This record gives sequence, structure tokens and C-alpha cells, in this order.
Amino acid sequence: MSDDPVGTEERAPYVESPIIMTTVRIITPFVFTFGLFVMFHGADSSGGGFQGGVIVGTVVLMLGIGFGIETTRDWIGPTLPVVLVGIGVFAFLATGIGSVLLGGGFLEYDVYPIKKAFKYGIEFVELAIGLIVAGVVTGLFFVVAAGTRDTGGDAA
Amino acid sequence: MTTPLELGLLVFILTCAVATALLRDVLGSIIAFSAYSLAIAVAWVFLRAPDVGLTEAAVGAGVMTVLFLLTIAKTVRPSSDRTLERVDLPALAVSVALVAVLATTLFALPAAGAADSAVATDDVTAYYLDNAYEETQVKNAVTAVLAAYRGFDTLGEAVVVYAAGVGLLVVLDREVFA
Repeated sequence: MSDDPVGTEERAPYVESPIIMTTVRIITPFVFTFGLFVMFHGADSSGGGFQGGVIVGTVVLMLGIGFGIETTRDWIGPTLPVVLVGIGVFAFLATGIGSVLLGGGFLEYDVYPIKKAFKYGIEFVELAIGLIVAGVVTGLFFVVAAGTRDTGGDAA
Repeated sequence: MTTPLELGLLVFILTCAVATALLRDVLGSIIAFSAYSLAIAVAWVFLRAPDVGLTEAAVGAGVMTVLFLLTIAKTVRPSSDRTLERVDLPALAVSVALVAVLATTLFALPAAGAADSAVATDDVTAYYLDNAYEETQVKNAVTAVLAAYRGFDTLGEAVVVYAAGVGLLVVLDREVFA
């Protein structure tokens, strides 16, 4: 977990390349913005939470390829993906059940007392889906990179 | 009806699919699979389904390729004296037979973009197209169906993704993605 990112034999091989690092550093903000755009603009054009979430997750994948997976994982922290996924599922469920509690059907957004409840409700749900997908994509990347070796997990 | 561009795309998809199956070098196979996914994404756009195309491009061509590459980084390359895998003839016969049986259903489908297909004339489709904007205030009818009319299904899809992540953690006996 804390071994050096360069030249480790059993990890995914990481070669420090200034070209890749510079490219990742330059395009990462644009890809992240594009992911958020796809997520939020899914209501009015192609896209949505699933697609936008994958693109946001790709940002982490690019950072991992550019700067080393171990370094990226240490920077993000092991619990953040799990927390994001949990918050996403909870937000989606709460939106649906909340509208039932307010007297409407499941995900019947217009019982919420806000303007354009349907539009903003859909945006909120897309954002929740995006959190789930981005978290799971990031987590899959880290888990597959770590492999099946027991790295600090409590063995049963 | 079929433009040379579409025909070229279909040939490219088939070539990539065959290359994925036959290439002996796993790295080459993964690259061919990535090209196949990208071409399929373009095919979805040709079929007027940009939402699906976007998903295919992001997941199939992007994330899956990275995950496959990470996986084969942990394997050893076979000593590749040949470029192509030897074809297992009985397995090929079974595959062709299965495809032939499934292909019989193709004749029951309407032509792509046909005006009288059930997709275009169905009452449910007409209702969504007529009322989606007034009822949900979103311009993309696909999103309106996904997040409003069929919101419960979408909750199921999101929970499937969640369950896949949790299932992987359980299998690997971890509590965090690390």
C-alpha cells in the first residue's frame, strides 16, 4: 500500500512519463467539466447520470495512469469512493421515498415545494446516479489494480 | 438505403470482432475490442440513439479497456510464434449454429427506421413524445422516461451498479476499494 510507485514488480507497471503526466494535467479539468456537463445537461440533450458518472470516473483513471495508481489511491483515500456510492444510493432512495411521504407516487417530483420540481428533481436524481457510477468505476479501477493480494484488509 | 459509410462501419465492426476472437496476443485482442466498442458506439449514433452511443463509448471503449489492460498487466505473455489463434472447429460449428437459430428472429423485426414499426406507432411512444415536455419540463424524452416515468426501473439500475461494487468488495473480503 505504501510501497514506491516506480519499479514495483507485482503492481501494475508504472513508468513515469513527462508526456503522459503533462497531457493528463492539461486535459483532466476539461474531461471533469465535460463529465459534469453530460450529467447536468442530460435533461436537455444526450447524456445523463450513467454516462456523466463514467466520464467523471475516467478522470481518476487518467490520474492513476499518469501519476501512478498507488499515488492516486493515497491521494483520494480508500473510503471516498465507498462514501460517494453510499450517498448516491441514499439520495436517490430519499428522493423517491420522500415524494411518497409527501403524498405523491414514487419519484413524483411535483409534490416537492420548489419551482420546476420535475426538472430539478430529475437533475438531482441524475447527479445521484452519477455519484454511484463514478464511485463504482473508481473503486473497480483501484480494486482490479490491487488484485487479490491481501493488502491490509482484515482476513476472516 | 445503406450508404458506403455505413457499410464501411459494419465491415469495420465485423473485422474488429473477428480480430478480438482470433488474435493470440491478448494486448492486441484488447485493442481490437476497444476499436470494436468505439465502432459500435458510432453505429448507435447512426441509429439515432446518441444516449446509448455515449454509454458504449464511455464504458465499452474507455473504462473496460483500462480494466482489461490492468488485468493483463498481472499475467504473462504467451510465447507468440503465431499471430492468430488456432480455430476450434467444433466450437465454431456450435457458434455458427447458435447464431443461425437466433438469426431466424431477424425476419420478424421491422426494418431500421420503418415508419410503421411498433416502436413508432405505439400509443406509449406517442404519449411520451406528446407529453414529456409539458409533464416533466425536460427536453430529452429519453431522460424524461428514465428518471420520471420509469424512475423506479432506473433506481433498480443504479442499485445494480451499487450491488456490483459491494459484491466485488465481499468477494475480495475488503471493506474499502483499496
